[in-house]
Amino acid sequence: MQASHPHRIQLQPGYVLHRRPYRETSLLVDVFSREYGKVGLLAKGVRGGKTARVDSLPPFRPLLLSWTGKGELPLLTGVESAAPSPPLQGVALYCGFYLNELLQAFLHRHDPQPLLFERYAGLLADLPVTGDKDRLLRAFELTLLQELGYGLQLHCDAEHHRDIQPGQSYHYVPDRGPIAARADAGSIRGITLIALREGRLDDAATRREAKWLLRRVIHHHLAGRPLKSRELFRQKSHESS
Amino acid sequence: MQANGSVGRLMQALRCLPGVGPKSAQRMAYYLLLRNRDGARVLAESLLAAVDRVGYCERCRSLSETALCAVCASPSRDQSQLCVVEMPTDVYAIDQAGCYRGVFFVLNGRLSPLDGIGPVELGLDRLEQRLAGGEIKEVVLATNTTVEGEATAHYLGEMAQRHHIRTTRIAYGVPMGGELEFVDGATLSLAFNGRREF
Ligand SMILES: [Zn+2]
Repeated sequence: MQASHPHRIQLQPGYVLHRRPYRETSLLVDVFSREYGKVGLLAKGVRGGKTARVDSLPPFRPLLLSWTGKGELPLLTGVESAAPSPPLQGVALYCGFYLNELLQAFLHRHDPQPLLFERYAGLLADLPVTGDKDRLLRAFELTLLQELGYGLQLHCDAEHHRDIQPGQSYHYVPDRGPIAARADAGSIRGITLIALREGRLDDAATRREAKWLLRRVIHHHLAGRPLKSRELFRQKSHESS
Repeated sequence: MQANGSVGRLMQALRCLPGVGPKSAQRMAYYLLLRNRDGARVLAESLLAAVDRVGYCERCRSLSETALCAVCASPSRDQSQLCVVEMPTDVYAIDQAGCYRGVFFVLNGRLSPLDGIGPVELGLDRLEQRLAGGEIKEVVLATNTTVEGEATAHYLGEMAQRHHIRTTRIAYGVPMGGELEFVDGATLSLAFNGRREF
């Protein structure tokens, strides 16, 4: 059965990244699936109607998705909840949108990203309970860039290939790496590069620099495409993205 | 048959309605022309009049023929209680239910960053001005319970709190006349968390 229908996918773990209305009652859904990466699916007859419908394709909920057909627009044939939605509220919910927007911008269709999938699933589960969203988001951004071939150079400088020195300042050049430089408004401390690589962002200055660095690198790779979800954080001082 | 000229144009025009495909457009066009020309004339005139006259209320952004809609202009509505909804149809639904005597603010959308809709695109500065005016004593958040609706509610809640205005969110739960067996898990858990003394 499975062999004779190679384009019939059954109960694939995945998440909805984004959906938009299609015709009267259908949705075009971008999902991030564990084994097939980002896939665009057509979900027929899932919206509208006279009675209020319960949303069966909410973002952030672990789902089991079945679809059939290849080509541009496979048809969603089934959806089940694998677990309840994580209780994302407030800033954690903003973070969820930010993650989805990042993935939507960076993932290529039909390019499996199993490690990223695992980290994404873990992060959605952690976001409602963590007291340190910054550290988790930075770690995810690093993994995302790494897995998509834009990994940061955090071990040695790009010019002389010397180990990063905690007391030295650097200019980070996207696609190249850190270059030792005099400390100025655009520089980042070696200690921050080391903290980032070791996954510990203990003080406010390190957090601020790490966020600023990743924001610049992400911006560079998005070639000017803005990330809208960042605007949600602006209202409060506790910016995370 | 090939419909062209005025009939064809009518069929094509009818297809701008939601749920109307070529077949139903044809049925409607023929019905209007063969059976109900008076109805067709009234329909055409009403459409023109509505499109020409109906705009948005300058206070709540609901559909209105006058600068202020009937709700905003009514002396019997509580002008200190402001209910924020996503669509003008939500105003209609809440008003039909007859349970709310305050006024409204219609977002005409929701925050949806992945669709490029942020606070600016939603025109939230208009709401901010209204909150800053000092007349509002309570903001009732009645956006949808989708993730976008929840994010919007949270954002508006932060905004209202900056102006020290009491903020409430409509309750969720089991629908009236509903059977528990068919209620989804998320709704059930909210209904349990929000249970009250009986
Ligand atoms: Zn009004």
